[in-house]
Amino acid sequence: MSGGIARGRLAEERKAWRKNHPHGFVAKPETLADGTVNLMIWHCTIPGKQGTDWEGGYFPLTLHFSEDYPSKPPKCKFPQGFFHPNVYPSGTVCLSILNEDSGWRPAITVKQILVGIQDLLDQPNPADPAQTDGYHLFIQDPTEYKRRVKLQAKQYPALV
Amino acid sequence: MTTVRRLPRSPSEKFMNTVAGFDPDSLLRSCWCWCFVRVDELLRFVQAGEEAAAAGEELEPLFDYKRVQPTIKFRFDDTDLEKADIFKHCNKRPRAAAAAAEEEGKADEKGAAAKVVDIEEEDWLLPPPPKAAFKPSAEDSALRELRLKKQELAKFAESAHDILQELDATTKKEIGSKEPPEQIIIDEEPEPQVEIAREKIVISIQDKDGRQHIRVYKDEKFDKLLKVYAKKAKLNPSDLAFVFDGEKINLSSTPEDLDLEDDDMIEVCHKRR
Repeated sequence: MSGGIARGRLAEERKAWRKNHPHGFVAKPETLADGTVNLMIWHCTIPGKQGTDWEGGYFPLTLHFSEDYPSKPPKCKFPQGFFHPNVYPSGTVCLSILNEDSGWRPAITVKQILVGIQDLLDQPNPADPAQTDGYHLFIQDPTEYKRRVKLQAKQYPALV
Repeated sequence: MTTVRRLPRSPSEKFMNTVAGFDPDSLLRSCWCWCFVRVDELLRFVQAGEEAAAAGEELEPLFDYKRVQPTIKFRFDDTDLEKADIFKHCNKRPRAAAAAAEEEGKADEKGAAAKVVDIEEEDWLLPPPPKAAFKPSAEDSALRELRLKKQELAKFAESAHDILQELDATTKKEIGSKEPPEQIIIDEEPEPQVEIAREKIVISIQDKDGRQHIRVYKDEKFDKLLKVYAKKAKLNPSDLAFVFDGEKINLSSTPEDLDLEDDDMIEVCHKRR
């Protein structure tokens, strides 16, 4: 039942996304080798915001939806070792709106999630660190932090 | 074989042969017929004393067909009867008589006589009409074969002719049936392609500054769309790229290839130098 709800909602999400989405963002369900679509996993791209150190980077993000979606938020993961104070070493994004117990609401759309994460990139939350490397540099060495961010942006250039 | 046929020597022998070859009824009937018809003739022959020695025996005149050829008259009299089973032996007699007349001179050969008996028996068992008819039938079979072959060939020729005619008709039909649709297609080609085949969808093209809706043919290559867009935006088409779902759109593909639907959005990227 809930799986049916999740897939129905995700189909709607996908439909809406195709019609309109913020520029430079990508969000599409996984396509399996046999050509079928798996709506439960989405491969997304979040562009670094213009005018920030993240500009020019197109950061890959994977959304893992559970059968309980939209009651529960999807798990959002950057690549392993992604440099950001609020990203776990595994790549999982730590964000209030993505926390079932705090900010998540079923009405939050995929678009809102991705835009929220884009905002988080340039506005880390030092109150809720998820990795030591990013967190320490952000607190202690802003210059090095800036350099690391710019370096990472170059690691993820535009696919096109 | 047939020429060697002879009459049996003695009347008793003849009689025995006659009896052996036929059922009593038919024998009696035929015998009586001859008796009644030929009595005066026989008497005349006897009086003439042509063959006194042979006439010495009582039954001789009755069965000596050399002098008396009753079957000839029978033959002319009644052909239906002649063909009947009871007259089978009659039909044989005249020839037998002729043969006897021919070879009467050398009647002394005993071996031949023995042979004759054999032949005669054979003859009685297997009457000559079938034998005589055997050759003609063989000829007939050959002729029949020829005739059949001829008929076959005629049929074949006919069928071939038919097939040719059919082919002609069908090809004419095909040509006839092909031509009108072709004409129709030629006539209506531009219309259905525009109205039906060339489906239009509205897609939005998004760039950094916003997006605009453009109506495009589903089967039109993005190449053309990009050129139109670049002209509008006063940009060099080679600096631009369309992106759908994070992937660069091949300019030789069409909206249909990408399964684009109405109101789908594609993005424009400015290539970096």
